[in-house]
Amino acid sequence: MRTVTLQLFGAFSELDTTAGAAAGPEGRAGIQINVEGDTVADLRQALRVLLPARWPAFAAGLLDYSAFADSQRILRDPEPLPEDGRVAILPPVSGG
Amino acid sequence: MVDSLKACVVDRAVAAIDPAEGIAFVSDPGFGGIDVFIGKVRDLNQGRAVQGISYDLFQPLVLSEIDRFAADIQARFGPRLKLYVAHAKGRLAVGEVAVVVAAGSPHRDEAFRACRALIEAVKHRCAIWKQEHYVDGDSQWSEGCSLCHVEPSPAPEHGT
Repeated sequence: MRTVTLQLFGAFSELDTTAGAAAGPEGRAGIQINVEGDTVADLRQALRVLLPARWPAFAAGLLDYSAFADSQRILRDPEPLPEDGRVAILPPVSGG
Repeated sequence: MVDSLKACVVDRAVAAIDPAEGIAFVSDPGFGGIDVFIGKVRDLNQGRAVQGISYDLFQPLVLSEIDRFAADIQARFGPRLKLYVAHAKGRLAVGEVAVVVAAGSPHRDEAFRACRALIEAVKHRCAIWKQEHYVDGDSQWSEGCSLCHVEPSPAPEHGT
């Protein structure tokens, strides 16, 4: 079991994080989540349980189209979670 | 890593993006061709009247990914290439500049191709999100392109 601080971007930044908030750099909203296991896939699984339970109004299906990253690169599902426990969730992107 | 790359994120609350800065950066006495793409906020999307757009970015990841895209583009269309990217963050009004990509090279073909490849990567592969604000008061995050299963290679053409 480990604790991940998840930084929220795009549509995920709309989640109400007033309870158990974990503000990141620049004061960005985040959530702390306990993960059973050490991989990105384990984090995804933990979110699959947490999102509908804590934010029932949120379209949790977005999780299936979202990627994870540290500040330097995308982290694929089989990869280990970063040592510092800081992960960003990246919904589908729409720059430009 | 490309030594002739400038990539920056411009907070709209602080400044506006200036395409002239991009042109100046990719200029070189040996370069005969410069291609510039300017992306602006449009007043209509999928039939809905748009009043403005807010951009959210994961800045450190955006900048490191652009470094990698630029290295790939230089390997394909270089080696003599200068590249520039500026992307806005924060809230923009219709008509304001959201993104500028510029590419300079000795000849026009490489400049066109490098510029096109870089703007496609910025639109489809970078950690940037737009929230559209409509005239009717509603707001919505764009559907966008999923980064799941994206391989470290040039992105396919997309319809947006």
